[in-house]
Amino acid sequence: MSDQLVKITINGVAHHVHGKSVLIKAAEDTGTYIPRFCWHPRMAPVGMCRMCLVEVEGPRGVMLVPSCTTPIHDEMVVHTETDTVKKAQEGVLEFLLANHPLDCPVCDRGGECPLQDQTMAYGPGESRFVEEKRHYEKPIPISDLVMLDRERCILCARCTRFSDEISGDPLIEFMDRGNSTQVNTFTEEPFASYFSGNTVQLCPVGALTASPYRFRARPWDLRVIGSTCTVCTAGDSISVHASQNEVLRYLGVDNDATNHGWLSDKCRFGFEYLNSDDRLTTPLVRGADGEFAEASWSEALSLVAEKLTAIVTDHGPQAVAGLGGSRGTNEDAYAFSKFMRTVVGSGHIDSQMDDGLNPQLLAALSGKGLIGDLEYARTILLWAADLKEEHPTLYLRVRRAAQELGAKLIIVHPRRTGLDDRATFKFGYKPGDGARVLSELMAGQGEYAAARAALSEGPVVAIVGRTGLTESPVLAESVAAFARDLPNASVLPIVRRSNTYGALDMGLAPNLLPGRAAIGSPGCANLEATWGGLPTKAGYDAAAIATGVDEGSIKGVILLGADPVADMPNGLDLSSPDFVVAIDLFLTESSSQADVVFPALGFAEKEGTVTNLEGRVQKVNRVVPGPGQAREDWSILDDLSARMGKPMGLASAEAIAKEIAHVAPAYESVTWDLITWDHPDGAVVPVVAERSPLEYVPIVSSASSTPTKSEFVLHSARTMYDDGVMCQQGPSIGRLAPGAAAYLNPDDAQRLGVTDGDLVRVASTKGQGDLPVVIDVSLTVGVVYVPFNQPGGPHFGSDLAVTLVKL
Amino acid sequence: MSWSAETIKRAHDIVARYPEPRSAVMPLLYLAMRQDGYLTADGMKQVADLVGITPAQVQSVATFYVMFKTEPKGKYLISMCTSISCYLMGADDVLHAIEEASGVPAGEADDEIGVEHAECIGACGGAPACLVNYELIEGLTVEKAKELVRWLRDGKPETINGDELQTLFGSVTSFDWAIKEDNAAIGPYPAFPVFGTAAQNTDALEPGRGA
Amino acid sequence: MVYPLVVTKRMMEHPADSHTMKRYEATGGYVAARQSVGQTREELVELVKASGLLGRGGAAFSAGLKWSFLAPARPAYLVVNGDESEPGTFKDRQLMERDPHQIVEGMIIAAKANEVHDSFVYIRGEYPKPARRLQQAVADAYAKGYLGKGIFGTDYDLELTVHLGAGAYICGEETALLNSLEGRRGEPRIKPPYFPAAKGLYMKPTIVNNIETISNLPHIINQGSEWFAGLSDSADTGTFMMSISGHVNKPGNYELPHGLTWREVIYDVAGGIRNGNELKAWVPGGASAPWFVPELHLDRPVTKEACAADGSMLGSGAIIVMDHTTDMVGAAERLVAFFAEESCGQCTPCREGTTWLDMILQRVLNGAGRDADIDLLLDVADNISVGLGWPPKQTTICPLGPSAVSPVMSLVRHFRDEVEAHIASAPHSGGQGVAVSIRGIA
Repeated sequence: MSDQLVKITINGVAHHVHGKSVLIKAAEDTGTYIPRFCWHPRMAPVGMCRMCLVEVEGPRGVMLVPSCTTPIHDEMVVHTETDTVKKAQEGVLEFLLANHPLDCPVCDRGGECPLQDQTMAYGPGESRFVEEKRHYEKPIPISDLVMLDRERCILCARCTRFSDEISGDPLIEFMDRGNSTQVNTFTEEPFASYFSGNTVQLCPVGALTASPYRFRARPWDLRVIGSTCTVCTAGDSISVHASQNEVLRYLGVDNDATNHGWLSDKCRFGFEYLNSDDRLTTPLVRGADGEFAEASWSEALSLVAEKLTAIVTDHGPQAVAGLGGSRGTNEDAYAFSKFMRTVVGSGHIDSQMDDGLNPQLLAALSGKGLIGDLEYARTILLWAADLKEEHPTLYLRVRRAAQELGAKLIIVHPRRTGLDDRATFKFGYKPGDGARVLSELMAGQGEYAAARAALSEGPVVAIVGRTGLTESPVLAESVAAFARDLPNASVLPIVRRSNTYGALDMGLAPNLLPGRAAIGSPGCANLEATWGGLPTKAGYDAAAIATGVDEGSIKGVILLGADPVADMPNGLDLSSPDFVVAIDLFLTESSSQADVVFPALGFAEKEGTVTNLEGRVQKVNRVVPGPGQAREDWSILDDLSARMGKPMGLASAEAIAKEIAHVAPAYESVTWDLITWDHPDGAVVPVVAERSPLEYVPIVSSASSTPTKSEFVLHSARTMYDDGVMCQQGPSIGRLAPGAAAYLNPDDAQRLGVTDGDLVRVASTKGQGDLPVVIDVSLTVGVVYVPFNQPGGPHFGSDLAVTLVKL
Repeated sequence: MSWSAETIKRAHDIVARYPEPRSAVMPLLYLAMRQDGYLTADGMKQVADLVGITPAQVQSVATFYVMFKTEPKGKYLISMCTSISCYLMGADDVLHAIEEASGVPAGEADDEIGVEHAECIGACGGAPACLVNYELIEGLTVEKAKELVRWLRDGKPETINGDELQTLFGSVTSFDWAIKEDNAAIGPYPAFPVFGTAAQNTDALEPGRGA
Repeated sequence: MVYPLVVTKRMMEHPADSHTMKRYEATGGYVAARQSVGQTREELVELVKASGLLGRGGAAFSAGLKWSFLAPARPAYLVVNGDESEPGTFKDRQLMERDPHQIVEGMIIAAKANEVHDSFVYIRGEYPKPARRLQQAVADAYAKGYLGKGIFGTDYDLELTVHLGAGAYICGEETALLNSLEGRRGEPRIKPPYFPAAKGLYMKPTIVNNIETISNLPHIINQGSEWFAGLSDSADTGTFMMSISGHVNKPGNYELPHGLTWREVIYDVAGGIRNGNELKAWVPGGASAPWFVPELHLDRPVTKEACAADGSMLGSGAIIVMDHTTDMVGAAERLVAFFAEESCGQCTPCREGTTWLDMILQRVLNGAGRDADIDLLLDVADNISVGLGWPPKQTTICPLGPSAVSPVMSLVRHFRDEVEAHIASAPHSGGQGVAVSIRGIA
């Protein structure tokens, strides 16, 4: 294996290419396409379909070799278009079609099928196979999302390889042998993978089809636009496919920096909420009878302007608070930031729902670590949420680093995680006890000695976040403080909502201003000039806003795509404020309590930019118009500002992006044009050294330890599918939420006298509920795990202490 | 059926023999077949648990090898070789005789007898040959094959001993078999003592086998 | 005619108990192993190189040279291939059943020569009796301290595990065997990596040797490389075992010197054709070897070189003899069916092509042949093994697919008239059949 340039001659033309490649890739990179079915650039070659046979000159004459398994070498001479090659390719195609049903007219793949395309390009005109074809029952559902038609399958092993090598859940396999070989799942176990949709996209025929897309469209009828997924924080590149103003599917796009082409099923099938009949289409105003009535935009905007102005006049601007902004675009977030600071004049604004990390920490670390650093990491410290549940494509990248690239993986988490099978070291602990674990890890004491030694081997990538909602953000900050001083360390701080990083960069935090500036930072002259002044002191964060609401000091609340009632661990009492306005896609638990609700455009219905966990800015694009009278968030806020007499003057997403680049120096170089035309894969916001959040230095603090005398402590974490509105408004994925349950160590279960399925009453200061028990050996004694925000599940808040009683 | 503590212990011993646990899949599948008479879903799940792979991976391996049966094959499985040397020596006629005498077409099974054709079983010098519960008989004839089926149906032997079958129903052998041994198969799987699929001819059957 | 015996000597002289530890030790057993445990890798490799011992699994590569290629990384493994499954081959079965200690001793020598401490013998599942005998021998050797920790009182450790296959011919292919031993489907591995000696079991350096190869080792240690080389006039040293089956009077395994003629083997050794029938053809070296016919080959020598010169191979030494009553289309179909059944299913040409060839032959046999079928057979075969030459070029990972081509080629080359006769007897033979349009689909 060499990375030096070697000379290969393909069809008489010499090329100089990097030596570490298989022939099929080197040929493609130099402009010669060799047909293939089983080879995929992101997976290990298997050499099974034999479509890529080419002739290579060698010491024993010209040999027919599979170009997908043959490494290139210097002075290699290759022929891809000789009669022998063509005969071999025609032969393979005839073999593949021998048992293929040729049911293209009723196949979802028809029109975008590699088998169909290559048959047209390289195949014989007719088949001489007149014998009986193989027959299977068709199609069979192998999961809630995927259908399998074995008659169409050409046994390329892409799906089986993906599941085994990439996603690490080998639930789909070759069964039987020889001519009877078929792809299938275990008799009793469906293909229940968070990544099953990738196999549909990988399938070179119509053997695997996605239930949500089956028979919905023909590829030639689709409008396709590139965009960026906003389900998790990785910023996965996708293409959005729509027909007749309806989004019908997403496909993953291979972005070397982020997702390598993969998507989680939540992302892939999560678009269905956009097409929901429950989408808001007109403004709603609560009438005297307490019921919502449809209203015109003018009516609703005037009412909101009047109410907000009145609150500001009567109680001062600090009586108004804003929550949200982390689900939309940077332009929406900037508009919200500007609206709160310059129109309302309040600093009570937070885009995190009391479940994230210190915004200063995030701003200080942003841009200092890349997902791509995982490719070079020797040691990975993962002390954050279960990536498989919350950051699925990042999970795939870490899995790859640990499995394929040989990085040592250290996981610290109170419960099992999706990566445990690839962990070199896994440490469990009781939530609240993290500071002790950290100090022992730092000191390399006892069981931590080997892991600490591994952390001395750089490059280190540390993925840091809160493992659960009951865990103090101070712990993650302490871990980050430790990790940033490790050799060649990259620290990737992890929070949940997709555009939290963008929202913080736009100043949607009580102590931040656009451009990763802290309040009081130098270098905000353009911002000051544009905004006509700057805030001088920090406002409330989400938790303080909730307190302010309870105490009555917050009279007006503006929700921008936020559902704090359901989504904040400790909830928010929206019945108390005098006036609540929500900008949302749906009537959620929160917006349904508002006085006025504005219908907003969602993903694929508007354009703009988003910023991922690395600080990478990418475009999202519009492909459908959106329902009814729904509008962009920024445009609603802009209209409101004008009616409140302080017009923000925002004209379009592109214009806002220009304003951002002007007022936020960090974004100066990441222009709209750059990422639209020159860097469609996105560009990372450069770190601007003189901005003050960057002077923010996290420290290891023992305040992250929260001793409790309670017999049980609560570990509560989010799952991929939950009761969130985007999940529940999608028929395909909404039903996949695991449901609320109390997970217990077997010893605790024995002590309580309960076993799998028995009911226990779990109670905290914030709530209680009767939950079925699930025995979980990965938990430490004294820990009860309850997945957060499950359909029908109670909320327990973020306190550690809970009580358990057998029912 | 769930595995006895003794069987689980044997399984762990087998896993421990190998540098990597997955290598024990095939021996454990023999154990699982012995447990239930064929590979049940529960059996494959048990194997998956023991070696730390998914049941789908176990099933993928199991279905690759023709001697692992994922469906019941009766108490006696007759595998008649129809490959070239046996074919040349009249194997097709013998197979038809077995099918007729048993009333079971090749590839099927009733509660007692399963019949299948097999590819070369390495008994070419004693062709035509068959396996009964994977124990060998060489030098079969149409008549002897019919007798074999009757003997199985009527005698319902508890165990299948290859040497005994050869004496009763065989003739020409690939080479001198020399002295006889006591090991016998106790189900539609071969008699491998270490995997618990064997009994001594004189032993009582171990408890725990599925009906 | 009496030929010198090496690997079958003990079982011939002591038929009642050649498989027991007692008899084995009484006839000089384990002396060679005891001695070689005290020898260096270099000494043992050089000795075996000098003996000229070629691998007996079919590829006939120098055993000593193969050992010398073992990569230095550790752990490394020794795997002995007892998955003998080629139709017509049953010699390893006899060696395992009748002289299992010879194999255990050979494995100790091979392990020491390669400085490995973990060894496996993979036996096909259809061989329960040989497996039991070998298991017993292994248990006896452990009990005596010849296997396990500190064997023969030295500080050399060696574990030996008997592993059972479960019905898959392809596991005789060494990389498929390694996959199987790893608890996977027995699918041959892609190349690179090219040799198990560099990346084998668990991707660690691995020596894979055949049962017969291993069985020769104690004798080479005991009697020296010169003696072994002197048993043969050719570069192929020692003796070799042939499995003879089919229409002969005395089928069985025979340990023979190199260089007899086919006439001597078929008529003298195997006692001639049954019922005084005429010899029609024979398969000289396992099911994948192109057939020989008496007019051309009966007086040719039974050597690798001569077979290769005549466009076939000696392979694993299995000869299948067919007399004049044989329906050659039927025989070819049976051989093709074997490969179709045993294809692992990875490579398209093998998975689809071998079954297709078998379907055509079955159709011809069943009276539904068409004139176009002979050309179709040849072209389908050509798409599995490009150019239809010998040795075959392959479009596949392993040689199994091309193996199925060889009986088709032999049939058409030597017995085209029989195929044509079958087709002529079919009621609708003249048609070209229905071609199915592939293009112009949705």
